[in-house]
Amino acid sequence: MNVRKIVTLVEEIRSEGGRPVSPPARVAVVAAVIENPWAGEGFVEDLGPGIEATASDVGALLAPEVLDALQAPAEAYGKAAIVGLDGEVEHGSALIHTLKFGDHFRKAANATTLLPAVEKRGPAGVVFDIPLKHITDATIRSHHQTTEVRIADAPHPNEIVIALAAAAQGRPQQRLAPLSTEQ
Amino acid sequence: MQESIQDRLDPSDPSVLSDPAGPSAPSVLPDAGIGLRKLVLHQEVVLTEAGEAPARPARRASVAAVIRNPWAGSGPGTDLTAEQLRIAPALAKLLTDRLVGTLGGVDAVEAFGKAAVVGTAGEIEHAGALIHTPYFGNLVREYLRGESIICFADTRAEAGETLIVPLWHKTHAATRSHYQTFGARVPDAPRADELVVIAAASTGPRPHPRIGDRLTDPVVTTETLEALPS
Repeated sequence: MNVRKIVTLVEEIRSEGGRPVSPPARVAVVAAVIENPWAGEGFVEDLGPGIEATASDVGALLAPEVLDALQAPAEAYGKAAIVGLDGEVEHGSALIHTLKFGDHFRKAANATTLLPAVEKRGPAGVVFDIPLKHITDATIRSHHQTTEVRIADAPHPNEIVIALAAAAQGRPQQRLAPLSTEQ
Repeated sequence: MQESIQDRLDPSDPSVLSDPAGPSAPSVLPDAGIGLRKLVLHQEVVLTEAGEAPARPARRASVAAVIRNPWAGSGPGTDLTAEQLRIAPALAKLLTDRLVGTLGGVDAVEAFGKAAVVGTAGEIEHAGALIHTPYFGNLVREYLRGESIICFADTRAEAGETLIVPLWHKTHAATRSHYQTFGARVPDAPRADELVVIAAASTGPRPHPRIGDRLTDPVVTTETLEALPS
């Protein structure tokens, strides 16, 4: 795996809707800008060897970093794969839609649910939103949230941005009735 | 991959967006007494550039504070002094604490810069009031143990504007290897009546600096250039 850079974003929200948020709400994202393992190879039918060579390593790199950045136990999480213009969206999906990738984060965060994801293709500087859901129960409505990311110079056409997001809590002023009240 | 990782600072060091008092210190007012809505940290570590690891890997970071513009909607006759005195020093402390915590200590910081984005109900003068006076600049310089004038960018913009923050060496501003920029962007700020105030820093030079320096430059004038074969 060839990593060009690691980008960390942390938001700490102190007020929302004109009211204080205490303790502050924290959301962290860590992204690795890596070379697309299939760059320049044309249409590769069997993505297995590339997944084997990369998915676990990038998951192991990002999981501890995003929890360090959050400085708190994660309650919600999500993931992203943003493929440069010369690649297929399938290449990004290949790296993040495997237990080899996500299990590092699940284990580190004591999580059990599948990670919600965004996969898309775009130029360097493309804006993407990472969806987050609760780490043990994806139906917990208070924790459905989204965080926005932009890396000015990535992904290059032959790169993929792989990112993990973690939130220490639900939405800052969450006050929706739980799903169970509608069932 | 392992080799590249070793180039990075120890992640167990006082780390990303660390608040010395801890992220949920009860004594801290949520809005820090200055109408603070949020803080956004952006950090980048370049492991390879143009296919090669930098000889001196640098960590770059910016910390942006989104605050209410205390002067939004007021006219150009408004005296900015009182709020400037109240807000700018608090921002200098808040932003530099976060930068130092993120970058691994004040001695690790080699280059610095500052910036502000004012929302559309404010004047660019409001941005200037918070970053261009001693109540911010001198304190940022002191907290980061610098000597140079701090280079800057400012603009008035809608939420989500990316501002390119220039950085240069904190004690030797003419050190060419440290001329660099770092983008700062908050997706949902500034609102029309808000200001985003940013401090940014780097722990080293550009990834592969090789354009000489004042010490190595030849004398260049229109006359010397005319003497060159065309």
